[in-house]
Amino acid sequence: MKETLLLTKHMRENPEESHLLKSYEKNGGYKGAKKVLKSGSPELVLEEIKSSNIRGRGGAGFPTGVKWGFLAEDEERYLVINADESEPGTFKDRILLERDPHQLIEGMIITCFAANISKAFIYIRGEYAKPARRVQNAVEQAYEKGYLGKNIFGSSMDLDIVVHLGAGAYICGEETALLNSLEGRRGEPRLKPPFFPAVKGLYNKPTLVNNVETISSVPWIMNNSGKDYASLGVEGSTGTRIFSLSGHINNPGNYEIEMGSSFGEFVESLGKGVRNNKSIKAYIPGGASAPWLRGDQLEVKMTIDDVANEGSMLGSGAVVMMDEDTNLLLAAKSLVSFFAHESCGQCTPCREGTTWLENILERIASGRGRLSDIDLLLDVCDNISPGLTWPPKMTTICPLGPSATASIVSLMKDFRSEVEILLPKKVVLR
Amino acid sequence: MTEKITFTVDGKQLEGKQGQLLIEACEDSGIHIPRFCWHKRLDPVGMCRMCLVEIETPRGKALVPSCTTQVTDELVVETESDIVKKAQEGVLEFLLINHPLDCPICDKAGECPLQDQTMAYGPGESRFIEEKRHFEKPIPVSDIVLLDRERCILCARCTRFSDEISGDPLIEFIQRGNKTQVNTFPDEPFKSYFSGNTVQICPVGALTSTSYRFKARPWDLKKVSSTCNCCSLGCSVELNVSQNKMLRILGEDNEFTNQGWLSDKGRYNFEYLHSENRLLNIQVKEDNDFVEINIADANTTLKQKIEELQNPDVKFVIGANSTNEEYFVINKFANLMNRNEFLSKDKSNVYFADDHLFEGYFGDEYENATFEDLDKSDVIVVWAEDIKDNIPVLFLRIKKAVKNGVKLVVLGHTNTSLEGLADLYLGTEIISTNFELETSLSNVKEFQDIVEDKKVTAIVGKSTPLQQKKSLDALVSQLQKISSTKIFNCFSKANTFGALQHIDQLKGLNEFYNEYDSSKKNIIFTIGSNPVNESFFGPKVKNILQDADFVVSLDIFINETTELADLILPTTSFGEKEGTITNMEMRVMKQNKILPDPGSTLSEWEYLTSIAKSLGKDIEFGSVYEINKALVNEYQSDDIAPSFDNLNKPSNLFGVINRKDIDLNVREVDKNKVSILMVRRLYGDSSTQTNSPSISMLSTERFIELNSKTLEKYGIKSNVANLTQGPLSIFVNIRLNNLLPNDLVLAPINRRGFENLDPTKDFNLKETNNLKELSVN
Repeated sequence: MKETLLLTKHMRENPEESHLLKSYEKNGGYKGAKKVLKSGSPELVLEEIKSSNIRGRGGAGFPTGVKWGFLAEDEERYLVINADESEPGTFKDRILLERDPHQLIEGMIITCFAANISKAFIYIRGEYAKPARRVQNAVEQAYEKGYLGKNIFGSSMDLDIVVHLGAGAYICGEETALLNSLEGRRGEPRLKPPFFPAVKGLYNKPTLVNNVETISSVPWIMNNSGKDYASLGVEGSTGTRIFSLSGHINNPGNYEIEMGSSFGEFVESLGKGVRNNKSIKAYIPGGASAPWLRGDQLEVKMTIDDVANEGSMLGSGAVVMMDEDTNLLLAAKSLVSFFAHESCGQCTPCREGTTWLENILERIASGRGRLSDIDLLLDVCDNISPGLTWPPKMTTICPLGPSATASIVSLMKDFRSEVEILLPKKVVLR
Repeated sequence: MTEKITFTVDGKQLEGKQGQLLIEACEDSGIHIPRFCWHKRLDPVGMCRMCLVEIETPRGKALVPSCTTQVTDELVVETESDIVKKAQEGVLEFLLINHPLDCPICDKAGECPLQDQTMAYGPGESRFIEEKRHFEKPIPVSDIVLLDRERCILCARCTRFSDEISGDPLIEFIQRGNKTQVNTFPDEPFKSYFSGNTVQICPVGALTSTSYRFKARPWDLKKVSSTCNCCSLGCSVELNVSQNKMLRILGEDNEFTNQGWLSDKGRYNFEYLHSENRLLNIQVKEDNDFVEINIADANTTLKQKIEELQNPDVKFVIGANSTNEEYFVINKFANLMNRNEFLSKDKSNVYFADDHLFEGYFGDEYENATFEDLDKSDVIVVWAEDIKDNIPVLFLRIKKAVKNGVKLVVLGHTNTSLEGLADLYLGTEIISTNFELETSLSNVKEFQDIVEDKKVTAIVGKSTPLQQKKSLDALVSQLQKISSTKIFNCFSKANTFGALQHIDQLKGLNEFYNEYDSSKKNIIFTIGSNPVNESFFGPKVKNILQDADFVVSLDIFINETTELADLILPTTSFGEKEGTITNMEMRVMKQNKILPDPGSTLSEWEYLTSIAKSLGKDIEFGSVYEINKALVNEYQSDDIAPSFDNLNKPSNLFGVINRKDIDLNVREVDKNKVSILMVRRLYGDSSTQTNSPSISMLSTERFIELNSKTLEKYGIKSNVANLTQGPLSIFVNIRLNNLLPNDLVLAPINRRGFENLDPTKDFNLKETNNLKELSVN
């Protein structure tokens, strides 16, 4: 199994200076955008994106071309890049921001051309200081060159990009919370309907909200073609994807591969196998909010639909491997603590429920568990996410609360005996 | 929006309006969905998740909050399915796990939505064995409101009220997730004229009022609906009494007037009723000392005085807090006492305790407005005294109308608090320091553009008593010329309209001062009025009262006016008397009695009929009911009569609009130079407020407002200065207000220290060494 480098080729080949404009241009950067602005039309760009079948890389996997097509008519429309990558295990956007910011800017120029947008924002996770600095510098370089601002590349197109740093809240990765935060309000998800920012988004104007990786793919698609892109990967999951591999792995890191091979192959070839030749007990196929898969499910194909068929999701492409020695109760507790800490506090079930779940897991881990706690945990989960299905039903505005239940439900579904054995013994873990 | 649609709830076909919220549409059809955060006067937030219901969607059944879901035609809703019940139980359990459950010591217990809904929808027992969330409690968020964050269920009602409704977003959520809490900004208390509303709409005992904490249990309260008389809006209120003490006033949701809200003045201005300073006995002045006497002796004393003075001039200075029934009797009594009673009408002897009474725009040429018109008009035009300070809930109504798209035009220098809402603010550009239009409004293009051919509701009144009416006339006639205009005559004081309607011909203090003839024998009645304190004619009125041969005061406290009286007749007050009052849209509403008459007090009408009787004159009324019956006869026959019987009907609980011809006789104000703009602030040193401990500290600040240029002119850099005028010297706090014209200084009426300022005379300002903020105590 080999990597297919589309988005990460430039940074791999020029590790020292891939973030600089001169390196990007030397390697063919901004040619696509220039060509599109000179001789292309918005319709043609949209056509290419649609034919590439690229689906959003933020987690939900919504077809990008369709999203762009939704954008309502208005005098003022916005593009917002969601660079609030904060899910434990996910670190793919970080390298795109830090090591190839111009690729993102070029993608934004083409996107804004296609969608007739003249103001765009990049909302970067607050803790991403270095990536933000690099992006800010890149935006300034692009302005100096006339690649941003008025009459880009001498065309009639204007585009301003504002780089905005978040203040350290995972929930601002939820697109409507991100828009609130960008407007200076509390980072809380908005009520739905309206379901799509493409209809009513930033400052109540139609807004495209796209992930860093999605928009960074746009230059390659335009330099080649939608068809070329669609020929990579498999149907329903076309193109390449940057997976962040972590956990008990010999060679963790970001890998750009075509979708379609199995998790097992991925771990063995690129991940160089499990540490100390152990076996995998369980793994997270797509970020902290995704339900776990078992170690005997490593043959599952890494596509959006295959993972969904197993009752989980490919999500943001964060693959976390847990070996046979992992205490899964502590793993679940760690994940639940994260969601409890990141709950915005709007909806009662999430605000109160996630912390309660955390407290119960903490109590079990400290040897004070009761047998009834298993049913209690599951029932509290059920009150946040009725039916405990995936994709989740919700008693809340956004899926953060239901995401917190995923690890507990996985634990109790597949590894219940591990918890049951602990309870009567009053074992204190770690 | 009014298109009728049908939808199904729990198998029943219901009718609703397109776009209506599901929770509201169900409520209209008698189906109650439990809720905490939803409030019909606030924008929905869908936070508590208590109102979840199941609806059928193309992708199967979905749980949605009914407070954010609009009904659509053929919507199918389940409010009692197993999934809904499980979700509601879940939400209640979540709300209760960190709630202290200190109901036995909580003021809200007994009327608590959390308690009630736990009984109705809750899980019955708790599975939570962890430590509950703790906060310091309670913390004061303002002088009159306390917050217990442990009890708070984070429904955002208070934060939404302060943001959306009153526009003082000074309480907010801080922190997030499980640590989320309501709090104020550092060093910025929740200083709002409307803060008490947050206490009323809090669905738990998290927000409490200093005046009510630990005073009563809800099930011990005796309650009656009534109408507030703190200003002329006529807010519907519920009076709560326990053991013959008024403990709390709540706002009632009267769609036509206050829509549930009250100002803090209206809500908390009641403790004076039980003040130990309250006048409880009749007193007569003997050798400069007041001596208690009984009513028979009082009548005799007065009778002897009238005979001794031989045909004296009798004048009446009345206040704004009497009921229509009382004004009706005052009018009858005044006519009897008028020795010119058979002469022409302009010999009227009743004066309203207002410096230069505004004449208003009454009669057939003018169409008078109602509060509903604010929402229905295209443009609201305001030129009057400060609305937020004088008719606070009208400010909320204007704010609501503006939020819904009505345009707002504000003229003059007084309504600076409306400036932020206004589409057009015409201040110093076209209006002089003495409130004259410096140019014809027809020359002001922005004004023309905004009002031309539009439906306009104009709120017009004197910005300051010294304003000449002719500039207002120019506004009104211009509006009538180019737009379809309805007019609110802006008299802000309590039952002014009742006085206007029931006194044959009302005059003001200017007329009183000018018509007083010291060469004659004079008897003066002051009835529920304190003109010595509440007017800048104060010093002049004081001289007159001292000069008069006999002064009779009917009042509830010893104050600057009553202390000059020869005979004091203590009267009943709010909640102690029954009657009707007329608000500024001329809606007549009922005031009800729930407290006994304290001490040996009587109502104003009882004194006057008893005096009349002792004088051998005939005003025979045995009860307010009889007065009301007589009074109703004088209304135009085609209107709904404002009789007690009529007003007590369920269909008329919101009051009836009944217009009666109004006749005033006032003279135009002389053209004056205005150097000090005396304005009435919401809180002042009235005897009712100073005797209500919970709010008495709210009027203690001595301040003036002026613009930065004026400040510069006097070379003032600190926030404290010395204001001097003749022999007068006052230390004042300086507040910057750049909407004021140059050289005009704004100062509050009715605040100790300012009573002797003459608004027409020059003043001087000097910087003082940086003193700390000043207050009068």
